[in-house]
Amino acid sequence: MDFGLSGPEQAFAEEVRAFLRTHPPETFPEDGTDAGYGSGAHSRAFTQALGERGWLSMGWPREQGGQARPMSYLLVLLEELAAAGAPFGPLSGCLQIADSIIRNGSETLRREILPLIARGEATFWQGYSEPGAGSDLLALTTRARLDGDHWVLDGRKIWSSHAGIATYGTVLARTDPDSTRNRGLTMLMVDNRLPGMDVRPIRSLTGQVYHYEIFMDGVRVPRDWVMGKPGEGFGQLLKGLDTDRFWGRFYKAPFLRRLLGMLVEYVNTARPGDAVARRRLAHAATEIAALRALFSRAAWLIEQGRPATGEVSAAKLTADELGQRVLSMGMELLGPYGVLRAGSRWARLRGEIEHQYQTSWGHTLAGGTSEIQRTTIAVRALGLPAEPRVRG
Amino acid sequence: MDLSFSPSQQMLQQSARTFLQQRCPPERVQELALDPRGFAADLWKEIASLGWPGLLVPPELGGSGGSVGDALALVEELGRACCPSPFIASAVVATSALTAAGGRRARELLPGLALGERICTLAVLEESGRLDPEALVLPVAIPGRLTGRKLFVPDAHVATDVIVLGRAATGPTALVLPMDRAGIRARPLDSMTGDKLFELEFAQVEIGPDDRLGAPGGGWEVLGPAFRLGALARSAEMVGAGQRVLELCVEHARVRVQGGRPIGAYQAVQHACADLFRDVESARWLTWEAEWKLASGQPDADAAVATAKAYCGEAVLRVARRGHQIMGAIGYSEEHPLHLFHKRILAASLDAGDAALHLETVARAIGLT
Repeated sequence: MDFGLSGPEQAFAEEVRAFLRTHPPETFPEDGTDAGYGSGAHSRAFTQALGERGWLSMGWPREQGGQARPMSYLLVLLEELAAAGAPFGPLSGCLQIADSIIRNGSETLRREILPLIARGEATFWQGYSEPGAGSDLLALTTRARLDGDHWVLDGRKIWSSHAGIATYGTVLARTDPDSTRNRGLTMLMVDNRLPGMDVRPIRSLTGQVYHYEIFMDGVRVPRDWVMGKPGEGFGQLLKGLDTDRFWGRFYKAPFLRRLLGMLVEYVNTARPGDAVARRRLAHAATEIAALRALFSRAAWLIEQGRPATGEVSAAKLTADELGQRVLSMGMELLGPYGVLRAGSRWARLRGEIEHQYQTSWGHTLAGGTSEIQRTTIAVRALGLPAEPRVRG
Repeated sequence: MDLSFSPSQQMLQQSARTFLQQRCPPERVQELALDPRGFAADLWKEIASLGWPGLLVPPELGGSGGSVGDALALVEELGRACCPSPFIASAVVATSALTAAGGRRARELLPGLALGERICTLAVLEESGRLDPEALVLPVAIPGRLTGRKLFVPDAHVATDVIVLGRAATGPTALVLPMDRAGIRARPLDSMTGDKLFELEFAQVEIGPDDRLGAPGGGWEVLGPAFRLGALARSAEMVGAGQRVLELCVEHARVRVQGGRPIGAYQAVQHACADLFRDVESARWLTWEAEWKLASGQPDADAAVATAKAYCGEAVLRVARRGHQIMGAIGYSEEHPLHLFHKRILAASLDAGDAALHLETVARAIGLT
């Protein structure tokens, strides 16, 4: 058993830390809110700074302009960025889209999009959920039909993160009008600037804009802007969901560890000798360590190319439920100060607990609800029979 | 990162699983748990013939000089079978304490321990119930006579030797005494877990310099690391037991039909099973991460072991408790093995330091002043 980093991986971690020292994260302009997953705010400038170092493409094959570095380097990068509280919000989305394009994208997509991702100039939104298709994603009604060299896209997507400040989206649409459920779906890559796109913000309970609703009215998407083959969108989605759940949550353990460190310092100075607070913080530390261990296991399985659906769902589920518990504890430890917003005169810990407490309530819904994760574990990892569908 | 088991660990796991399935089925565990003085002498003999008690004994003293990881792989299987044995107390904690302390007495005892012919137990806890050098009261003077008592001493009825930790003028001091030394008396404690626990009374027991283990006042230096290993082993035992509870529950959910379908096709039961999976997996990899930290000498190894022990105690007990709800009424009956696993996990969570003790170690490690 070896849970450690190799020599070169340690050297890379030090390289990332050195970069963060010379490029303090707080000096980068932020253009989108911090959604609380641990990847900080959305900052194009910071994403581009990562791109300048070749870190966005380091895992890609050499023929695509990458360095063919193993997955472990990406994990090191994400962990160091999260521990420092850096604004790398768009990063995991970029990494996943790049991975999909390299595996299944058309030659056009590789040529057009990959260089932009490598430089940090493209960020992405996911167009999966619809007003009538949430946990039951296959009830989606967005459709695309071929018209000459283009798909004509009509429909409506919702809860797409940072869609208003992103450059492209991946949209799951029904391309075979006679199909039902998981057949006849296609994953299209859509440029936000195309005519017929209408991206409208949804204000979150934090008071900020994170999600968007996207109205697509006769949007003409080039025929080869497709991920995978037409009609095979569901396979793309499933493959994507597993990795999405992993890459979209991996940094939550170091993030929670950072918050815990802030709360430890707060208790040391503001509530010294508080035995209950001491016990609760130590307890949270064990849970965060257990979360990290779940992610280590899932990461290793993914690296080995072994099935990891149950492990990834367990890690995602735990990340988000534990996040809510840690932030709730933070609120209680801060007492009446906990609710004061960042920037207010008496706010403690820069108001970060207040913000992350609020964001945490979306996490057990996004990327598949906790209920979906548990069902996934039960049916796909433990082999329990699927619950029969009720015909309404 | 390499989260695979070594070939020797895989071999141990496989052979242990096969052996324990045949020789330590639930009925046997049940029988031993219900017998207040139960000890599977035959099973222990067979375990000894497989060389398990000598796993952590150096080769020059008759052992196989295996790694901590080897021992953990084995203990996980013992937990999975809910096998009652003095393995952790004798072959892990006492053996590693004797190996670390060295000296003539250790060299005399270790070959017998490696063969399983000797069993060494531990007399540490007193009335405070705290595994803490500060909590030791039993007065030790060498040479002199030992008078007082220890509580929660495992398997004293079959042990040939006992490591006693008391307080000398110089500080915590360890002794290793033969159980048949005049003046030592063991009285069983009636525990619901089925573990054989004893009160050990010392009445004017003669002790001399040869009985001391480690330096005068250096008893905790000898036993502290051994208890750390014990905490890790108990974590692995809990993981193994929790794994079996998960398997029992999932199997039950697949075959038990109510309302025209297996109960495992109801989301309420599916989600409970998913939580069990999460708890067992997280406990397992946290335990193995602590093993790696200990084996590779990471600076935070102590905290990692404390983290694993505290977490396993909570998460795997949750598995057992939730398991009762999934298993339904049959799991409440004595004949069903679930309660045996539950009680084994409970006992393991309390042994080698309870949650309060380990959480205090974690509290210091995360910087709480």
